[in-house]
Amino acid sequence: MDVSDLRKNAKVKLDGHPYTVVEFQFVKPGKGQGLYKCKLKNMITGSVIDRTWRSGEKLEAADVESRKMQFLYAGADGYTFMDSATYEQVELASELVGDDKHFLLDQLEIEVLFYNGRPVGLSLPSHVVMEITETEQGVKGDTATNATKSATVQTGYSLQVPLFIKQGERVKIDTRTGQYVERVNQ
Amino acid sequence: MTVSPNTALPWHERIRVWDHVLASVRARMRELDFREVSTPVRVTAPAVEPFIAPIACAPGWLATSPELAMKRLLCRHRGSMFQIAHCFRHAEVGSLHAEEFHLLEWYRVDDTLETVVHDVEVVVDVVFDVVTRVLELPRPRVAWRTASFLSLLADTTGVQLRGDEGAHELVLVARHVFGDELERAASSDADAELGALRAWTALFSLWSDRVLGPRFAAEPWAGTHIVAFPAVLCALAQTGRAGDQRIACRFESHIGAVELANGYKELGDEEEQRRRFALANRLRSSLGEEPLPIDEAFLSDLRQLGLPSCSGVALGLDRVVMLACARDRLEHVSPFLGTT
Repeated sequence: MDVSDLRKNAKVKLDGHPYTVVEFQFVKPGKGQGLYKCKLKNMITGSVIDRTWRSGEKLEAADVESRKMQFLYAGADGYTFMDSATYEQVELASELVGDDKHFLLDQLEIEVLFYNGRPVGLSLPSHVVMEITETEQGVKGDTATNATKSATVQTGYSLQVPLFIKQGERVKIDTRTGQYVERVNQ
Repeated sequence: MTVSPNTALPWHERIRVWDHVLASVRARMRELDFREVSTPVRVTAPAVEPFIAPIACAPGWLATSPELAMKRLLCRHRGSMFQIAHCFRHAEVGSLHAEEFHLLEWYRVDDTLETVVHDVEVVVDVVFDVVTRVLELPRPRVAWRTASFLSLLADTTGVQLRGDEGAHELVLVARHVFGDELERAASSDADAELGALRAWTALFSLWSDRVLGPRFAAEPWAGTHIVAFPAVLCALAQTGRAGDQRIACRFESHIGAVELANGYKELGDEEEQRRRFALANRLRSSLGEEPLPIDEAFLSDLRQLGLPSCSGVALGLDRVVMLACARDRLEHVSPFLGTT
């Protein structure tokens, strides 16, 4: 693959290991050659490294198989998923799930990634709908359109939402940025 | 009220912001006696740039900037003009890059580069005024300063250069600051002209990335116009003299670490222009990129009609709007990113 195909969540092979791009920054300092500055997570060990590529460079895509699975439950040191067709269950270690745990609702359909037959990571849908379990009342009459407040969803994840969002309402969240997108009308 | 720089502007506000920005910028440019023009989105030959990849759109490309097309109009109309142009650059995707974006580009006929530098501040003021009013945000004040390329390089790295060093000498003088990477980028060119361009381009890139960027980022509301580029980094600018140094009549404007605008005293000499396109293509080839066709219609206009004496600049409008909205990603304020 070409470095210009790098995006957040792209899977690449480095020194024989599969890595997933967790942070991605494209810059063109001094209008020169573009630089792709990445933080990559080793999909097996969970360790994170920094790597910079220049535009024009080539790299190897990691051959990762993905299977649709459902989230079942969180255990002491891992998360269990089930293939809804075969009922096969797999467990992913907590460090491989990382911050994706914030969006793991019961029965959420996700993709589990396998590298050489081993479950090494998951891929969330780009958006999830979650319920606000806790947030302060918005100040009445405050129409300032940029104002936000903290709110917590079912999984305990907290994020900034607009003032008009109330407890019990459902909101759409972008799992790639972790940010509020819009209110979902029931 | 709290605004997190890391949140997307809601859609109804983006629409309002852009409605006001587009109207206000147009009104101000007309007050300053510019004519608004509109040039093709699909072109038969994009400007030959070493590090910009055009997006193919058979039988041509999508414009990477309206520069050549506007200069062809300047050869005909010979009056100051501006355009808010949609531009396209392949694989430029990041917090400050998008494959499609707005360039506000303008040319002043019979006027100086200094006036155009000042115009950049005027446009920033217009956008900051209108956006902060519409969103009821605090209005940031930008403190502008101007620094020449070589003095800024000396101040920030201690590397003193004349501006006319060839690749070999440049590496010797600057290697202790920029290390092997400079040497690697500069090496292996038999052609002295290409070697110098590669070395200076690498120096500018490494300096921006390692030194200037972090330093600029520390003062987010400091505006910097970098002026008087070394002649080798002339791009499409005329070259001239500053004291005993040969310089490119070119500037770049930044707010904090965000590069906003790039301007030239425009080159009108057809033969010199052809030579520069060819050099840019040699640089592309040396980096393994396809050479691009030369815009013969543009060169023919320079030769037969002549480009009036003019200075111009291209400014990334989305980036200015982003700063005015106190956001740190283009996709949080763009009027179209994030809809697909």
